[in-house]
Amino acid sequence: MTQSRIAQKLFRLITDNAVPIIFIIISAVAIPLSGFSATYLVQELLTRIGRNSFLILSLLIPIMAGMGLNFGMVLGAMAGQIGLIFISDWAIVGIHGIVLAMIIGTPISVALGLLCGNVLNRAKGQEMVTSYILGFFINGIYQLVVLYLMGGIIPITDPILVLSRGYGIRNSINLLGVRTVLDRLFPVRIDSFTLGAFHVENISIPVATYLVIAAFCFFIIWFRRTKLGQDMRALGQDMAIADSAGIPVNRTRVIAIVISTVLACYGQIIYLQNMGTLSTYSSHDQVGMFSIAALLVGGASVSRAGIGNVFLGVILFHLMFIVAPAAGKELIGEAQIGEFFRVFVSYGIIALSLVLHAWKRHNERIRARRALRIPAAGAAASKEGTQ
Amino acid sequence: MRTLLRTVALCFFALLSVLLFYFGREHQVFIDNNTIEVEGDRFRALRLVRVTVNDAKPMELMQRERDLVKVVGPSFRFKVEVMDQFGENVEKVIEKELRPGFAKNLMLSLPLIASDRDDYILPPPVYVPPPPSTREAAAKDEEGLVPQENEEVR
Repeated sequence: MTQSRIAQKLFRLITDNAVPIIFIIISAVAIPLSGFSATYLVQELLTRIGRNSFLILSLLIPIMAGMGLNFGMVLGAMAGQIGLIFISDWAIVGIHGIVLAMIIGTPISVALGLLCGNVLNRAKGQEMVTSYILGFFINGIYQLVVLYLMGGIIPITDPILVLSRGYGIRNSINLLGVRTVLDRLFPVRIDSFTLGAFHVENISIPVATYLVIAAFCFFIIWFRRTKLGQDMRALGQDMAIADSAGIPVNRTRVIAIVISTVLACYGQIIYLQNMGTLSTYSSHDQVGMFSIAALLVGGASVSRAGIGNVFLGVILFHLMFIVAPAAGKELIGEAQIGEFFRVFVSYGIIALSLVLHAWKRHNERIRARRALRIPAAGAAASKEGTQ
Repeated sequence: MRTLLRTVALCFFALLSVLLFYFGREHQVFIDNNTIEVEGDRFRALRLVRVTVNDAKPMELMQRERDLVKVVGPSFRFKVEVMDQFGENVEKVIEKELRPGFAKNLMLSLPLIASDRDDYILPPPVYVPPPPSTREAAAKDEEGLVPQENEEVR
């Protein structure tokens, strides 16, 4: 009896954390194969955690409100990019440029978030696919604005930014003025330390970026305890009951999406300041997919995600990014194979996670139905006994 | 009350934006050592001159040379040291502080500065992008964005 219970618990633990377990196993195999030093891996991971965590954290609030994974975060990313285009044109550099880009991006992302939230309220139950398609729709409008209106109707005067035909923004913008400014705001360098069996040397830590991420984490923890946060959690558990309890369902859902979109805007600015280059027409494309994949890799699901999932996810997902091409090269002789493998695994993991989630929900429903049946059957039996 | 708070917040962010714009603006300062003619007077290019902008590394310019420095913020200091023909002794030192304010680019004429004139700020050189007709001249990053010759636009 005890053994079967332990086996059951073990099975449950494995099914609950199947995705991170798979990634840990793959990484454990790929790291030694890649031949990278511990210093390189730690430095790369520290950089990538700083670069991506904010974006991934922006996904938590819609999940809390039961709206699933917000593929509409690309809307916020586009707003952030518009802010960066403007500061590049005005030549605002340093931390001033980053803050100004955020201020410019905020109203745009609020407007886009309102639009997205209202559309999703009309597509309850299909939020993920709706927000995904909405991303494509807004991408079209973004391209219209950036490719045709900027430089023409919207004044962009810097000839380095504008296409030679006189309007439209070039394919790539060099963000030299704001490159890594947040990362270098309070630079901390560690000469050497030992991490278990590994010796790590000469590591730089982007402290300011980590402080911003930490502030965001505290914001989420605080937000969960507020009235609005509690409303969102109630919505996430059961929308009908929340509605009966007097929670303004539609309004709360719109607020969740607006917050997520605005934070995604800031996240994209932090991401791009670290990269140092803005691909005007493609930087935002993959942001949603990669952030969602990282969150799922961290063990989150469509209906449940926490701050821990974000950091575990970003570490495991980006560890794969770093080691997979090198491991592929060592194994087969071609780095591209490793890259194919990584892409295949990354997208496969989204599919696997969604399937596991659907399967778990199906099992839970069966269990709940059974639980209802047993007391009913018991009551019927006891009734027969008394007669 | 809510409207008031919103208005205050809006004003705060508008003010913050202006301040960020003012203090974070990068100015491209062209330092020009070419002969220039102003109001009929000809000011010859200096043989050798050393220019220091803010606390940056000094740069030396020969006749007919032009250099570029980037400064951030509403004002900057610069020091012009006019050297003798051998480049060993400093003949004249001029120190000034300039407030470009919201202006983006500007050009300083060294011969005018050395002549103690106040109209030493010149309009910056204009960047002329390649004309749309010369497709070869278009930057590589425009590929796919600008329709090519004989390409049908749908």
